[in-house]
Amino acid sequence: MVLGSAKDIVEHCGVPRFVFSDFPLGNSAGKPNDPESQLDTLGLALDTLETAQSPATTVQSPQTWSKDVKWKADFYSIANLSAAELAKRRAEFDQIKTIGQGVRDQTMPT
Amino acid sequence: MQRMRDYYLALGYNNPYQWAHFSDVPFQPLSKPVTKSRVGLVTTAAPFKPEAGDQGPGAPYNAAAKFYRVYAGDASKDDFLGISHVSYDRDYTTAEDIGSYFPLGALRKTQAQGIIGEVSPRYYGLPTNRSQDTTKHQDCPDLLAMLQDDEVDLAILVAN
Repeated sequence: MVLGSAKDIVEHCGVPRFVFSDFPLGNSAGKPNDPESQLDTLGLALDTLETAQSPATTVQSPQTWSKDVKWKADFYSIANLSAAELAKRRAEFDQIKTIGQGVRDQTMPT
Repeated sequence: MQRMRDYYLALGYNNPYQWAHFSDVPFQPLSKPVTKSRVGLVTTAAPFKPEAGDQGPGAPYNAAAKFYRVYAGDASKDDFLGISHVSYDRDYTTAEDIGSYFPLGALRKTQAQGIIGEVSPRYYGLPTNRSQDTTKHQDCPDLLAMLQDDEVDLAILVAN
């Protein structure tokens, strides 16, 4: 059973059972500071474990993040990024990759 | 996926990530009801590293907090696990509540309510390793061995 918010990626991969929450990434288990949302999300996962009949079963949580859906339009949007901002983000991501590779090299010596 | 491909192309990376794809997906019917099952929580969240800087709510993308081997923790404890090492939506969420990405508290409640048999003795950490070969041939077997050692009936992976 997978709980996730990146619907197309999880379905592209293919998993036995998937509960999809249409939330900003980072909230696959329910809304922050909302124990009821988190318990409902987990409950849906447990229900789906028992009711799914075939592989690649997706069940969408009926919960919504907010009335305003701007967060969806803004997700990885490049619409309002200047060339300078793109270059800045590229430099930042290059640095992230270098640091991550360093941790990986320490963890998994070749 | 397309939005992410376009984003990284705009940044100048001309080698778009190829997400894993399996046309043949396994499926195992439950051998016993959920109310009798031992349930294990699998997370992509990272254990706290004292030397790795800000890993708490609202932390910037922190690659130093990444981990590359499967790990397990004591599910009876309230460990801090963070998601500063992954690309969550920092514009619209802050990771201020661990329950939104690591629902161990909720899982304990379902045990108390008799909805599940029990929480497994450990929780399990799965690296977000950008190598499908490593994920498939190293991390998944390591994770499966831990789940089998703990006699887990049902595994719930919370991906972040």
